[in-house]
Amino acid sequence: MTAMEKVAWTELLISLFTMAMAAALYPWLGNGAAGAFGFLGFVACGILFLRKRGNKVVVDERDREIERQATQTGIHTAWMILFMALIVIVLWASQTEDKVIATGVLMWLVWIQFAILYGVKGLVAVLLYRSQRRAT
Amino acid sequence: MPRNREPNINNSIKELRANEDRMTQQALADQVGVTRQTINALEGGAYTPSLALALKIARLFDKSIEEIFWIDE
Repeated sequence: MTAMEKVAWTELLISLFTMAMAAALYPWLGNGAAGAFGFLGFVACGILFLRKRGNKVVVDERDREIERQATQTGIHTAWMILFMALIVIVLWASQTEDKVIATGVLMWLVWIQFAILYGVKGLVAVLLYRSQRRAT
Repeated sequence: MPRNREPNINNSIKELRANEDRMTQQALADQVGVTRQTINALEGGAYTPSLALALKIARLFDKSIEEIFWIDE
C-alpha cells in the first residue's frame, strides 16, 4: 500500500465516522451535533504518511493522477448534491406559510458538503488503487 | 458524442528487468523515481506512464520508447 493510498483510506474512514457521529448525536444535541464535523480536521493526519523515508519515493506521478481524478469527482459530487439540496429546500420552503429557511439547515448543508467531498475523494482513490492492483 | 476509450498500452518492462540480472521492481522504481507499486501497475498494463517516465525507462534500458511500449490494437 502506497503512502497516498493510506491517505485516501484516512480521508474515507474519517469522513464516514464524522457523518455517523453527527447522525448519532443529532437526536440528543439537535443542531449542536454539527460540532461532530470538527472530526473532519483529522484528515490532516494523513500527512503523517507522507514523511520521507530514506531515498524512497513517497508520492509519484500515478499517485498524483489518482489524487487529481479523486478530487475532481469529490468536488463535482459535492456541488451536485449542494445544488440538488438547495432546489429541494427552496421548493419545500415555498410550500410553507412563512417561506423562511432556518440557518441551521444551511449550516448542516455546508458541513455535509465537506464530509461528502472527503468521503467521495477517499472512496474514488481507494477504488482506483484497488482496480489497478487487481489488473496486475 | 461518445468519448473514445484510451488505447491499451503494453510494454516489455518485465522481460527487460529479467534480462538485467533479474532487476527487482524496487530497484527499477528507485532508478526512475517512482514507487514499486507504480512499476507493478505498469507491468500489468493497469497504468499508462507519462512521457517523462517512459523516456526515463527507455534510457535506463538503452532502448527507444517504441521498443518498450506499444499500443495494443
